[in-house]
Amino acid sequence: MCGILAVFGCIDNSQAKRSRIIELSRRLRHRGPDWSGLHCHQDCYLAHQRLAIIDPTSGDQPLYNEDKTIIVTVNGEIYNHKALREKLKSHQFRTGSDCEVIAHLYEEYGEDFVDMLDGMFSFVLLDTRDKSFIAARDAIGITPLYMGWGLDGSVWFASEMKALSDDCERFMSFPPGHVYSSKRGGLQRWYNPAWYSEQIPTTPYDSLVLRKAFEKAVVKRLMTDVPFGVLLSGGLDSSLVAAVACRYLSESEAACQWGSQLHTFCIGLKGSPDLKAAREVADYLGTRHHEFHFTVQEGIDALEEVIYHVETYDVTTIRASTPMFLMSRKIKSLGVKMVLSGEGSDEIFGGYLYFHKAPNKEEFHQETCRKIKALHLYDCLRANKSTSAWGVEARVPFLDKEFINVAMGIDPEWKMVRPDLGRIEKWVLRYAFDDDQNPYLPKHILYRQKEQFSDGVGYSWIDSLRDHANQQVTDTMLANASFIYPENTPTTKEGYYYRAIFEKFFPKNAARSTVPGGPSVACSTAKAVEWDAAWSKNLDPSGRAALGVHLAAYEDAKESKMTASETSLQKLQAEKTTVAV
Amino acid sequence: MCGILAVLGCSDDSQAKRVRVLELSRRLKHRGPDWSGLYQHGDFYLAHQRLAIIDPASGDQPLFNEDKRIVVTVNGEIYNHEQLRKSLPNHKFRTGSDCDVIAHLYEEHGENFVDMLDGMFSFVLLDTRDNSFIVARDAIGITSLYIGWGLDGSVWISSELKGLHDDCEHFEVFPPGHLYSSKNGGLRRWYNPPWFSEAIPSTPYEPLVLRRAFENAVIKRLMTDVPFGVLLSGGLDSSLVAAITARYLAGTKAAKQWGAQLHSFCVGLEGSPDLKAAKEVSDYLGTVHHEFHFTVQDGIDAIEDVIHHIETYDVTTIRASTPMFLMSRKIKSLGVKMVISGEGSDEIFGGYLYFHKAPNKEEFHRETCRKIKALHQYDCLRANKATSAWGVEARVPFLDKEFINVAMSIDPESKMIKPGEGRIEKWILRRAFDDEEHPYLPKHILYRQKEQFSDGVGYSWIDGLKAHAELHVTDKMMLNAEHIFPHNTPTTKEAYYYRTIFERSFPQNSASLTVPGGASVACSTAKAIEWDASWSKNLDPSGRAAVGVHNSAYEELLPPVANGNLAPTMIDDVPRMVGIPAKELTIQS
Repeated sequence: MCGILAVFGCIDNSQAKRSRIIELSRRLRHRGPDWSGLHCHQDCYLAHQRLAIIDPTSGDQPLYNEDKTIIVTVNGEIYNHKALREKLKSHQFRTGSDCEVIAHLYEEYGEDFVDMLDGMFSFVLLDTRDKSFIAARDAIGITPLYMGWGLDGSVWFASEMKALSDDCERFMSFPPGHVYSSKRGGLQRWYNPAWYSEQIPTTPYDSLVLRKAFEKAVVKRLMTDVPFGVLLSGGLDSSLVAAVACRYLSESEAACQWGSQLHTFCIGLKGSPDLKAAREVADYLGTRHHEFHFTVQEGIDALEEVIYHVETYDVTTIRASTPMFLMSRKIKSLGVKMVLSGEGSDEIFGGYLYFHKAPNKEEFHQETCRKIKALHLYDCLRANKSTSAWGVEARVPFLDKEFINVAMGIDPEWKMVRPDLGRIEKWVLRYAFDDDQNPYLPKHILYRQKEQFSDGVGYSWIDSLRDHANQQVTDTMLANASFIYPENTPTTKEGYYYRAIFEKFFPKNAARSTVPGGPSVACSTAKAVEWDAAWSKNLDPSGRAALGVHLAAYEDAKESKMTASETSLQKLQAEKTTVAV
Repeated sequence: MCGILAVLGCSDDSQAKRVRVLELSRRLKHRGPDWSGLYQHGDFYLAHQRLAIIDPASGDQPLFNEDKRIVVTVNGEIYNHEQLRKSLPNHKFRTGSDCDVIAHLYEEHGENFVDMLDGMFSFVLLDTRDNSFIVARDAIGITSLYIGWGLDGSVWISSELKGLHDDCEHFEVFPPGHLYSSKNGGLRRWYNPPWFSEAIPSTPYEPLVLRRAFENAVIKRLMTDVPFGVLLSGGLDSSLVAAITARYLAGTKAAKQWGAQLHSFCVGLEGSPDLKAAKEVSDYLGTVHHEFHFTVQDGIDAIEDVIHHIETYDVTTIRASTPMFLMSRKIKSLGVKMVISGEGSDEIFGGYLYFHKAPNKEEFHRETCRKIKALHQYDCLRANKATSAWGVEARVPFLDKEFINVAMSIDPESKMIKPGEGRIEKWILRRAFDDEEHPYLPKHILYRQKEQFSDGVGYSWIDGLKAHAELHVTDKMMLNAEHIFPHNTPTTKEAYYYRTIFERSFPQNSASLTVPGGASVACSTAKAIEWDASWSKNLDPSGRAAVGVHNSAYEELLPPVANGNLAPTMIDDVPRMVGIPAKELTIQS
């Protein structure tokens, strides 16, 4: 990842302003520790902090077209850049950077080229010929982007909130799949896939088509000029990523440079389920596996930093971000700059436990659509910012545009959880990689039940977080919470504790509005709360309402890794807390 | 390098205090990006940010003795740790970290073990049995360290000023070669080599002894479990470091892990003298050479960051730190965590141009002693902090304790510059590596004259800085400078510009006192100004007094600097060269 910051039309083009922009851009340096650049054109500034993944020697940014009239600052990876270069034969490229195509595509096609890009990206492009600019963010919001407005009439864009929150009067999360054009004066959605309308698709499930689509998504992401690895929790999603990466690594360019043994990484409290599961998968695949242990105290000590980096007060996001944040530091210290990760699968295939209660395929499908649309506020935000905090880039093959099209084109009947037919959650994905002759994973791993939420890193992690918050937050504080925090009022001491830290770093109203809230049961959207009368009647933020329901559903399905009460209790307390009643 | 922070006896063991210490420790994260640790024992806090060079897998800090009653947080490298471990046969070590020995040495020898350590280090050791603690800094001050005092009676120790300046009522540079003991309640110098008294030594110059001592110093520093390289400006000092490293790399453990081909790094404006000189040396040695180009604008844009990191307003230090700071970022981005660098040679051998005017060997020798004692405020500070800003560790073989003992015991007569006898500055070092059969370097490089100032990175660098300051500091500001900055008043616009930035980051009075000032001509100490009547008569702090002397001597040698001024404040001390035959150098008296 890289960090971008752009300011347009700020009246002031003094040295003081330049220094200020440099200072603000430095707040994104963790995202791009390798080099920085600033282009100033009158009262327009484009700043960049670079993490060099492709073409480390010459790809410093901002990037330009041939005559330097078009300037781009980009955070991202364009996987089809070589194909796009082919199309732009008449253009002369200055660097080997995958992002350079953006300036040339704009020259060739004007503002309507964004959908041609295959990858994850946020960029800001300035056309100095008429001082117009565009800004765009990838389809799902894998890369973060914020947009803000200054009192002086300036428009701001930044990869993270921390770079613009102090200098903008208003700001917001830049919607994924959108492009902002100064000429048109507004935002427009460029991402218009079939699934977006939430209509129910009818393509019959074809396991091989799904398999091929995912393999392509992984292979495409092996494009790198630096050492990389796979985040392996031992769950289905990360294990599939590792298995596919392993299988195709030897044919890739990356293997020639970095060796064909795949590095895998896992983190947990000592003796945690993830560590065990990941080790098993790593042994099976023969990867070079790295285990990192953290202590509860280390996790608690990191909370402030995690919240500062991840820029949220969402309880489940913070719980899950902390181990990922700690692990990223260790990964970076090994010299690894890029990792593949399994985010997005649960949203696309309805992998969360509450999907068991989906009343019909229509509801099931629409909920998956809503979950995908919200990803940029939850798992994408976590995966991107936890890793970028230490200059590590996370790539997420499940969120490949093509793959989403295939997976979201399947008749959702197939995705429904049908214990009667032996179909557990994400069955279509599991079955797609169930290859008897050339197995990707051993069957028991392929069909292993999902360990929900943050329990995988160790059962005491969430308990300890709650204990810690309970010590720091008094009952009186919580009683007054609705007055102090009228928006997205925290309903637990843990929520209150995180919120107080968040407010310390990001005190503005606009900042708290960038974080989602609303009722939720076990990570569901507000809409899916209607699936069960017991849920909607009892919006207990701890999610205890769902307890009775889930217990029964899971007891038999789950191999008894823990005692029943422990499992469900921790599981549910670990859930995204229901906010605002 | 790592970053250490200790808060000792602050009468506060609350969660809020812990969070504050964590926050302050994070300000040192650039020094140790790989992991962090915090040990709390009541109201004693020992924090650590780790750069993992030795034993990356298990050496996380703080470190403990067997029963965990002795806790140490260390920034540094102990080159003789394997030997020391052997001297502690009945101790059980928890990690492979080189710093692990400190806790055990304390257990064995009490507070008097610091001189047994061979390396660069700063550490804080807490004995939880009686809550006593000791703090120490290496002989020369290669690693940075500050000490502060809080109003609550706490003692604070930090690798950088930024770790403690906001929370201490008063703070100072922790003097190099010293030990602070809470039991004795004060500072004591543990480093007592013969040269420290400044008595004039009489050992005759023996080239092979000097050569051997320096080779040992370099070889010792090849101890690493991570990729490394050499900073190569193409000057004598860095070229010698590179030549020896290249020669001995093959036999080391490091070579087995990282390959026997040495990486070398050089920074400069496009077409600068350093880039050219370094390329020549690297071609000769066959290193994998990396050149980094920066623009004057890149440098100016980095100045605030540089001052924040280096924590000084000394003009020459800032000028020289900026290219080093930029280069370190690029080095780190290549995955290199450690570099060997040539600092210290000019101080030990009297390599600065003003040494030409040393009236006799006694004065010459004492000035080298004074220069070495001040290194921690100038070149050590620059080299350590410019690289640590990006998590790169700089090792400086010229400042090896043994090597300094050898080099500083040589009769200074042989260090004196005698153009009549063809002895240019640092002649004894050059001669020591003049090996006809197995040449370390080609003769013309070995005897190449030093390029003074920061000109090596490109002639327009200093001009660009001055022009930039000129634009942003008005004459009126300068008129009031002595009222605004009564201590070490800036006398040039460039100095004023840097000072303003420094004060913004470090507004406390104590902070401005940590930076040296005073009269200087071309990097001399105040004392050496007496060497030339024309210098002492005209104590213009800009050093213009020396220009008259030096100008004529150097005009023909050095490419012209804009406005005909040679860097007016002080002559910079980064070793660099131009290809000028030695005999052309003449000093006008």
